[in-house]
Amino acid sequence: MATAGKEILKGGFRMSQEKVVLKVYRYNPEVDEKPYYREYEVPTEGVQTLLDALFYIQENLDPTLSFRFFCRAAVCGSCAMKVNGISRLACKTPFKKLVERANGRPITVEPLNFLNTVKDLVVDHDKPFENLKKLQTWCEPKQPIPEKEYRVSPEEVKEYERPTNCILCFACYGSCEAVMDDPKYAGPFAFSRVYKYVLDSRVDEDHKRQMVKNAMEVGDIWSCVQCQKCIYVCPKGIRPAEDIQNVRGKAAEYGFKEYPGVKKVQHFVDWVYATGQINRLALPEEVYGVDPTPLINKFKERGAEVWEVPKPLPGLLEFRDLILEVMKEKKPHLDIDFHHVRRIDKKVEEIFKADVCTKVVEQFEEQREDFFSRFWKKISEFFGAR
Amino acid sequence: MLEYDILIVGAGGAGLYAALWASQNPKIKVGVMSKVYPVRSHTGAAEGGINAALANVAEDNPEKHAFDTVKGSDYLADQDAVEIMTRMAPEIIYDIEHRGVPFSRLPDGRIAQRPFGGASFPRTCYAADRTGLVILHTLYDQSLRQGVEFLNEWFLLNIIHNGERVLGVTALDIKNGEVHFIKAKAVIIATGGHARMYWNRTSNALGNTGDGTAAVLRAGLPLKDMEFVQFHPTGLRKTGILITEGARGEGGYLINKDGERFMKKYAPEKMELAPRDIVARSIEREILEGRGCGPEGDYICLDLRHLGEKKLMERLPQTVEHARVYEGVDPVKEPIPIRPTAHYSMGGIDTDKYGQTEIKGLYAAGEAACISVHGANRLGGNSLLDILVFGKIAAEHAAEYVTGVEHLPTDGSEYVKREEEFIKSLMDKEPKENLSQMRKEMGNIMASKVGIFREEGLMKEALNEIRELKERAKAGLAVVDKSKRFNLNLVQTLEFLNLLDLAEVTTLCAIERKESRGAHYRLDYPQRDDENFLKHSIVRRKEDGTLEHGWKEVVITKWQPQERKY
Ligand SMILES: Cc1cc2nc3c(=O)[nH]c(=O)nc-3n(C[C@H](O)[C@H](O)[C@H](O)COP(=O)(O)OP(=O)(O)OC[C@H]3O[C@@H](n4cnc5c(N)ncnc54)[C@H](O)[C@@H]3O)c2cc1C
Ligand code: SF4
Ligand code: SF4
Ligand code: FES
Repeated sequence: MATAGKEILKGGFRMSQEKVVLKVYRYNPEVDEKPYYREYEVPTEGVQTLLDALFYIQENLDPTLSFRFFCRAAVCGSCAMKVNGISRLACKTPFKKLVERANGRPITVEPLNFLNTVKDLVVDHDKPFENLKKLQTWCEPKQPIPEKEYRVSPEEVKEYERPTNCILCFACYGSCEAVMDDPKYAGPFAFSRVYKYVLDSRVDEDHKRQMVKNAMEVGDIWSCVQCQKCIYVCPKGIRPAEDIQNVRGKAAEYGFKEYPGVKKVQHFVDWVYATGQINRLALPEEVYGVDPTPLINKFKERGAEVWEVPKPLPGLLEFRDLILEVMKEKKPHLDIDFHHVRRIDKKVEEIFKADVCTKVVEQFEEQREDFFSRFWKKISEFFGAR
Repeated sequence: MLEYDILIVGAGGAGLYAALWASQNPKIKVGVMSKVYPVRSHTGAAEGGINAALANVAEDNPEKHAFDTVKGSDYLADQDAVEIMTRMAPEIIYDIEHRGVPFSRLPDGRIAQRPFGGASFPRTCYAADRTGLVILHTLYDQSLRQGVEFLNEWFLLNIIHNGERVLGVTALDIKNGEVHFIKAKAVIIATGGHARMYWNRTSNALGNTGDGTAAVLRAGLPLKDMEFVQFHPTGLRKTGILITEGARGEGGYLINKDGERFMKKYAPEKMELAPRDIVARSIEREILEGRGCGPEGDYICLDLRHLGEKKLMERLPQTVEHARVYEGVDPVKEPIPIRPTAHYSMGGIDTDKYGQTEIKGLYAAGEAACISVHGANRLGGNSLLDILVFGKIAAEHAAEYVTGVEHLPTDGSEYVKREEEFIKSLMDKEPKENLSQMRKEMGNIMASKVGIFREEGLMKEALNEIRELKERAKAGLAVVDKSKRFNLNLVQTLEFLNLLDLAEVTTLCAIERKESRGAHYRLDYPQRDDENFLKHSIVRRKEDGTLEHGWKEVVITKWQPQERKY
């Protein structure tokens, strides 16, 4: 215990003149023709965070450098920027680690991707904030409003705890593959916010549906490619990619069946159940109503072997059982459309008759009887369980 | 020219809540100006919670809440205002709950409440350890719902009035460097606190620079109780970032350089868990008497090692992270260097209980205002309440006022010209001073001489030194960045000038109050002196730039002053 003070004392004396180079993006659209980088030498000791390093530059080397900050404690969301290519909060990025990892190379600091530069590291935040407004992510209170508080279980609060931690720093926006391809895409954070309010029992049901609809129509939620980058960069441990899947699920649950995204999911669910895989040839028709024949013909003309129905694989029956088990347990937002599955099965049967894929079919034939009886048994169980 | 019926300056809890109430009436045109995007505001940093006598956990009522507040204030709070606040508290909590604030809950679904320093009952509603964040974000979402108009990243320069009525404000659009006059029938100043005058000895955000408060001072209007600044005992040494009371609550030790748990000398029973001001003073005393740690002996250690890694990660993840990132110290293996940190500004713009100033149409609310409900010492959880209650009251009052008056005729060009000239003069000056150096000097002066322990001689030195800084700034503090877009250098210089003005006022008031009360502790006058000082101190700036100090009566309704004992 008596050494407590001294330990720190030693640390305090560890002064060193070592420096590291920060390569910082500079751009003032008013005067500069194009962006450029400027290098600054920053001491490696006595600088706690990347934000401190920027302050060091601004205070000692170049007062014209612009960047955003406010709380300097990772709660206000001002200071997200790109460090060696990855979106981070400057005030939450320990400088020491950056220096260690840089290993003598310069550390590159740039503004977040996909947002217009105001100056240097400052980007336009208006756009992502406006996206929230467009998606109407707020509480429209459920009627009747109680005299005191709404009753809300602690479990419910826990369910939306994670998206509630979002500080709107837009680190996720600047890393998002969907934003890159689709400027209309509202951004990972926006859908996490939608999800937060959708889970909240105090919010009016019609408004929830409206938010989910907005997410699809205004926010292009189906553009998300599930690359998971938003999860990786979020400084607050939020998992927008998962929230997005859940909002998509809500879209199905709310019966927004006419949206291509929902149709796509239905297509995936049914085909995977029926054949163990998705069917790219059926997708255009089932989702977008586009006749696939010309495409199929083209393939055939070129001599490609075309499978209108994917090859059912051995073990499919066990696989179907497994899917039903899982669905029973997880109660997903979208049910299997068994009419659809039957149509698929018919096609499968036709193909069997045509004796196309002998080997698999042989195996399949052996189990055939068994397959259909177990299949229908499962289905009745499945519905009975509801 | 931009024109609003009501212009709200500041988009923290006070500003946003005012905006929601002001824009209830669609005929009233409301604008909100903020130097940062609303959700960046300092309200988002509040962790602990917000007080209201909901009686969800224990018997409680607004009157008890009022008494605790008055007692906590060391009897300097205006009791009529306190009663309004505590009476409105439950309805305000229900209102923000209906708007979507995700409070933590009891098993039966009602809002959970926990005990907090100075309260006689568990009265603090909370949302885990991020109460301020969820309130701020919910109010922001609601302001989008109500279509509130924002001027984001606009910086308030001056308040314009004609001696009777407010005309509007001048402001800098940070994004393009343009100066504007904004016409308004009513202006609500909700620009937050000014604890940044202690520079890196504060838990406050970098932008808590009291810009609105300083603008009111420049406008010739009074500030109140500016000597009262609350210090939190445990801020990180280097940055002042707050280490929550929870760290001591979980069993953390405070130790000096001899490894001694020194609280046993000051509060043998409660030890580390004695009230905030006592712990803060004890830490400061250890440092002053040479028992601080480190080469300069300028801090104390908060030792959490004995709690073990598992418990630390489970119970105090935020503390562990803060220590690692901001102090470079791993609390699992090393003690955390801490010292008291300036936390809250009790003083501010002098208003009545409706948030009105002497000038018609000019209001103040939130931490920028001094109504006063916190008196000499604020209770934890009462500030978030204050900003909402009086944000609402000011908004409703202003809404009523603006429906009865017309805009005053002015095109504002003369005010814009004046600001542009001022900014130009800052840029044209020959730079002889360094801003960051001067800020540090200010912080050091304030922390060492007008901090936790105060004494006439040192404070007079401080007053001179602050005035010297002002002279030096005037002569040689130039804005070196001449660009228009997002000119940080300009904004920070303006903020610093504001802080200097307020530091001067704070020091002056602290000298004049020759007693100890609440957060104001004088070594030369260690007792409370109700006979002479049960009064608010009032300061205004005269035309010639000198400060005029005076006093104002405290409103006492039910509770006669007693000794403050816990
Ligand atoms: C670490 C910490 C923890 C806290 N915890 C609690 C707690 O648990 N419970 C509690 O009750 N209180 C707590 N407080 C105190 C409380 O958070 C604040 O007092 C309160 O949030 C202040 O709110 P406000 O709306 O008045 O100001 P702020 O939230 O500070 O907002 C000020 C607004 O004014 C704007 N502004 C400022 N200057 C200008 C300018 N020149 N031009 C334009 N706009 C400007 C800013 O952009 C901002 O939008 C805590 C404080 C700190 C520092
Ligand atoms: S989800 Fe995470 S990364 Fe995205 S804005 Fe919110 S806090 Fe930032
Ligand atoms: S998972 Fe989706 S939202 Fe997240 S970054 Fe990838 S594309 Fe964007
Ligand atoms: S400065 Fe607030 S999050 Fe970094």
